[in-house]
Amino acid sequence: MSSAAALLDRLGRPGGLRLGTAHAAGAERLPTGLAPLDAVLGGGLPRGRIAELVGPPSAGRTGLACAMAAAATRAGETIAWVDPADALDPEGAAGAGVVLDRTLWIRPHRPGDERRAAELVLRAGGFGLVVLDLDERASREPPDTAAVSRLARAAEGTRTTLLVVAPRPAAGSFAALRLAVEAARVRWSGGPGRLVVLDGVEAAVRVVRSRVGRPAEARVVRQAGA
Amino acid sequence: MPRIACLFVPDLPVAAACRADPGLAGLPLVLTERDGAHAPVVAASPAARARGIRPGRHTVAQARAAEAALVVRLRDAAAERSAAGALAEVAASLASRVEPMPDGTVFLDASGAVHLVGSEAGLAAALVARAARVGLAARVGVGASMTVARLAAVHGDGAEVVPAGTERGFLAALPLACLDAPPDVAATLARWGIHRLGDLARLPEAEVGTRLGAAGAALVRAARGEDARPLAPRALEAAVEEACALEYALDTLEPLLFVLRGLVERALARLGLAGVGGARLGVGLGLDDGSRDAREVVLAAPTRDAKTILTCLRSALEARPPRAAVERVALTVVPDRVRAMQLGLFTPPGPAPERLATTLAQLAALCGPERVGAPVVVDTHRPGAAAVAPFAVPPPAPPAPPPAGAVCPLVIRALRPPRPVEVFADRDVPAFVRGPGFAGRVVHAAGPWRVVGEWWSDAPLARDYWDLELSDGGIYRCYRELGGAGRWLADGVYD
Repeated sequence: MSSAAALLDRLGRPGGLRLGTAHAAGAERLPTGLAPLDAVLGGGLPRGRIAELVGPPSAGRTGLACAMAAAATRAGETIAWVDPADALDPEGAAGAGVVLDRTLWIRPHRPGDERRAAELVLRAGGFGLVVLDLDERASREPPDTAAVSRLARAAEGTRTTLLVVAPRPAAGSFAALRLAVEAARVRWSGGPGRLVVLDGVEAAVRVVRSRVGRPAEARVVRQAGA
Repeated sequence: MPRIACLFVPDLPVAAACRADPGLAGLPLVLTERDGAHAPVVAASPAARARGIRPGRHTVAQARAAEAALVVRLRDAAAERSAAGALAEVAASLASRVEPMPDGTVFLDASGAVHLVGSEAGLAAALVARAARVGLAARVGVGASMTVARLAAVHGDGAEVVPAGTERGFLAALPLACLDAPPDVAATLARWGIHRLGDLARLPEAEVGTRLGAAGAALVRAARGEDARPLAPRALEAAVEEACALEYALDTLEPLLFVLRGLVERALARLGLAGVGGARLGVGLGLDDGSRDAREVVLAAPTRDAKTILTCLRSALEARPPRAAVERVALTVVPDRVRAMQLGLFTPPGPAPERLATTLAQLAALCGPERVGAPVVVDTHRPGAAAVAPFAVPPPAPPAPPPAGAVCPLVIRALRPPRPVEVFADRDVPAFVRGPGFAGRVVHAAGPWRVVGEWWSDAPLARDYWDLELSDGGIYRCYRELGGAGRWLADGVYD
């Protein structure tokens, strides 16, 4: 390795790629607030990039997104939640620890407006996390490469993480990180003759794509009423 | 000794017309108060005057004979009011004591403003520059009285300062005609051989009063630079209004937005003088069927971004188009302070307030103002209730990161509005559920949880809630309405 490259490695360079290493390093992270997940992600979600959280209904993607939003807002970050399905439950989010005063909730109602709204928020700057919560309908459409590319460009160079939450991958190759959530076990308390209560869900979170680390897996327990 | 500044725009009707339509600047332009070749000219631009056209002396036909390329416009009182208002705001941006006059001239207390700009010459230059920012070529005079300031503005070099003690010397050389004396008094004075203010000022006031009456005495005082009354400051209206009459009625949106763009830009230039942004817009449209269309557009946050305001206006007009073609347009902008924020040393930087305000306004235009804001927990027992409050970044607080653990809450993903579902029950316990986009055998069921409330309202709440895990993997929150048809609905998914 040349001395110039070594110096650049030591000082850091645009893009965060170090010469002579196989993976990107040095990207600033936004902690998720979940220790097992932060451990496999190298500190949290990459800032200035698109991260995806995909999984079927009840797998826990909304709960995980709320946990990440809670960690961000409690650290003093301002966040935005773009919610075309109007699915956010403020009471549930507050219960999850999200500071609602620091949350900008945007509910676009026309198809395509959700990406435009996310882009506007990214270009405003100053948001630590932007959650783009795509429902079944929005994510069923084939990914609009041009729109996602604009989102990636808008996030690039900022300290904002764009977290796309969807039933299936929606950001394509523009996602720097893709987490797949699967419900491993649903826990019910009680039983025959006794009061039955939904107790929680155990979920597995797998890193299925990462341009900022290595694929890995973490287990997260989601607890009803926590 | 008071010091007064006067802000004056020569030919205000022409200046207002050129401000409303910048394409008219430099053209031979005359204004009339009615249509027709025999309508008298009431105002003429410098280019028209250079061709010998004089307001009050010539008709449109005579003016056209003097200049073939003459541009004739109807006098626009609304545009003149806007221009006069803009001029008053220019004065108010540098002085707290301002008196706008009915003819558009504005007087201000210079002694209270000099400390902002260093000197009276600096004040005059600043006033001229600020007037240019709102589209007006103003002249400024500063003197010991309103009379001196006005004459300095009209007959000076454009930014004339008459130092204290030199007023009589400045006035002495000015012609008598600049005082607008009544014709009979002016004729008498001319017969006396009085042609300059200096000549008049030397005459004894009492003697002139005896011979020419009160008007003559007032002229002598004016020639000495004395005022009939002191400055009478007046509070200006907070809202900024820009209006114009259109040459022909507009029946499509794009040309109307083009007109609105000019109004918005001029209004924002005026708001910029005070460093505030527009918080609320009022649009008044005069329609060609004789009616008036008025609407209000509330911005999500005060902003000075013309593009954002135009986007909001476009949304409002598209949502409810005017019922007839538009002949007159008036835009009122209610100002508010653009929010400022103090950054913390140990907290992450948040969005810049003005940028955030612009973004909020753009988002409100995109999604509707009721769909953008901070989520609010509603004080009700109705599950899934939600509301939004205006979003403003709270002041930085010490970060309180939650203890990192492996447990996160199970939250509900709301289905709004609740989806009707078919439920097949076995001994009152749901056994199979079919809804839009999901269906399955019930693997686990928990419930019922009875929720009854708001019986005093028009929408009482009486439901039995169930948590149902289906064979497709989804865990749904469903309820059966008590009373009526006993419908089943799903209002959330545990996720």
